[in-house]
Amino acid sequence: MSVGASIEALALSLGAFRLKEIDFAVSSGEIAVILGPNGAGKSVTLEAIAGFHRPESGRVLIGGRDVTAFPPERRRVGFVFQNFGLFPHLNVAQNVAIAQRRDGPVAGAKYAPPSGDPAALLDYFGIAHLAQRSPSDLSPGEKQRVALARALAAAPDLFLFDEPFSALDAETHEQLREELKAYLRALAIPTIFVSHDRSDALTLADKVIVLRGGAVIQSGPAAEVFQKPANSFIARVVGVENVLSGRVMETSKDFLTVTVGDQVVRAVSPASATPSDGSVLLGIRAEDVEIDPVHTAPPRKAGTNRLPGRIAQLRRAGPLVGVTVDCGLRLTAYLLGSQVRKMNLENGSPVVVEIKPEAIHVMSD
Amino acid sequence: MHAKFTPGRAAMSPWRFRAAPSRPGALYLLCWFAGSVLIAFLVIPLIALALTQTWSSLAAIARMTDVRDAIMLSIEGAFLSALCAALVGVPLAYALARTAFPGKGVIAALIDLPLAVPHTVAGIALLMVFGRQGTFGQPLQSIGLKFWGTIAGIVVAMLFVSAPYTVNAARIGFEAVDPRLEKVARSLGLGPWRTFFRITLPLARRSIMTGITLTYARSISEFGAVIILAYYPMTAPVKIYELFLRFGLEQSAAAAVLLLIVSLSLFVLLRTLAQRGGQPQESR
Repeated sequence: MSVGASIEALALSLGAFRLKEIDFAVSSGEIAVILGPNGAGKSVTLEAIAGFHRPESGRVLIGGRDVTAFPPERRRVGFVFQNFGLFPHLNVAQNVAIAQRRDGPVAGAKYAPPSGDPAALLDYFGIAHLAQRSPSDLSPGEKQRVALARALAAAPDLFLFDEPFSALDAETHEQLREELKAYLRALAIPTIFVSHDRSDALTLADKVIVLRGGAVIQSGPAAEVFQKPANSFIARVVGVENVLSGRVMETSKDFLTVTVGDQVVRAVSPASATPSDGSVLLGIRAEDVEIDPVHTAPPRKAGTNRLPGRIAQLRRAGPLVGVTVDCGLRLTAYLLGSQVRKMNLENGSPVVVEIKPEAIHVMSD
Repeated sequence: MHAKFTPGRAAMSPWRFRAAPSRPGALYLLCWFAGSVLIAFLVIPLIALALTQTWSSLAAIARMTDVRDAIMLSIEGAFLSALCAALVGVPLAYALARTAFPGKGVIAALIDLPLAVPHTVAGIALLMVFGRQGTFGQPLQSIGLKFWGTIAGIVVAMLFVSAPYTVNAARIGFEAVDPRLEKVARSLGLGPWRTFFRITLPLARRSIMTGITLTYARSISEFGAVIILAYYPMTAPVKIYELFLRFGLEQSAAAAVLLLIVSLSLFVLLRTLAQRGGQPQESR
């Protein structure tokens, strides 16, 4: 019996919106993050998995059971919403105690806390002292722990999170995300997490699913989706800072030679064929763009792209400085403030940009 | 040198900063002035009426059996009317709050209709349906339920004019309950019924109780529809009208003040009960 959850060709209509054959799986202990812009169908997908929308076709398997025909209360999912959705008329202990312990074996997942015992759950999450408090008196961090304790009390086979952090300030968001990650790792319950914030995916995801217009446009291990987005739309969703359009001039076994603006760069050949008209998009992460002042430029490394240009913009981004270089094409990189000072960079400074061919990701659209 | 003292001078005249126009003081003042005219208009006639009576005149009228019976009947009728409104109005309110369908606006307007119909008109319409020859009146008579000369007629008349308050208030209460809380409850293993009774209903409780209280209050004060559908047995407003016609202002004023005292005390009590219980604010 397989553990985890899989969504197989799930399709449904909701007014004018259509969810088209959603397919993905999340295994035990894995965190899948569904990314996508507003209106992509992220929440609808999650609610369909939880049983709030009737699919037209396809199946939902949770903990090895086909639950497609089950109502939400029989699906064994722990659902956590924005602001954590605690019941405001119940205190913390009552919030946890209201969950109905499901009968039958829990497929696979090893729960560290005894899932059926509210008091033990409060202990596990370190919130026993809050038992008599009203949810309105809790901090966001305490709310998150109550929400997790409550979800666990019902012995879920799958966790579903629908943008739980979207109403929090950036600092709390980051803090609670780290805490959540630690709990999810310890509990080893498969998790699907919906977000429009790619930093959630960067922190939490083992697997990333990108939705657009009700369809999965890419899914795979987080590193793969972040490093090799299938197209320029996904590149923007996962935050690739530099997306440039170019034309293939020459194809060899390992490398493509591409003109971009009035520059020529070498990129590693993609696994898939490039369009016949030779037009491609290049994705380059800012972290892969190196900037050297002209006079200290090290000797050329074999095959590395070296593009001379001038600083077009310097912009503070926390401890970093976003540097935009105009070298016939515009490239963004990040430097430490101290590096910028050491190199004496200012608008118009001549620099050399270095990009390794393997850091240039070639996309066809 | 001079600039050095600037902070000190600012601290020395704090009132200048406190008068900063962050609060629209004049606006509030004007609103309160306008509002106090209304409050006076509502309260002064009732106080003036009450002041016409002495304890002894009230005691005298309270000793009259027919007046006491009329007041008790009014309370009973209003209680039954509020109960009926709760039994059928709260489910309707939930359905309206949680479902979307074409023609929902029409139904919502229909519910408000009794508020726009003159109550004598409502009474005549009810007479057509619940009277001796009425659509319901005639067949129901065969199972022993008569709407003339009985409390049933009074309750029907009261319910017709007062049910909208329960439906509307309960609907607002249900709409304020975040549907996501219901979804969380379902995911925690609670079925639809349990979710309703343990999550939705308690969260909407205050609004529902407020609506029921208003229905009760409107029922106890109903005159027009009641007098047409069921002149007998006499409710308190009908009795007061009768006293006014037969004995004049003095007798009727005494009964009026007695009814006012009883119904206002009950209203205040019910309102307090409805708002009681430290229910937290609605979830965000």
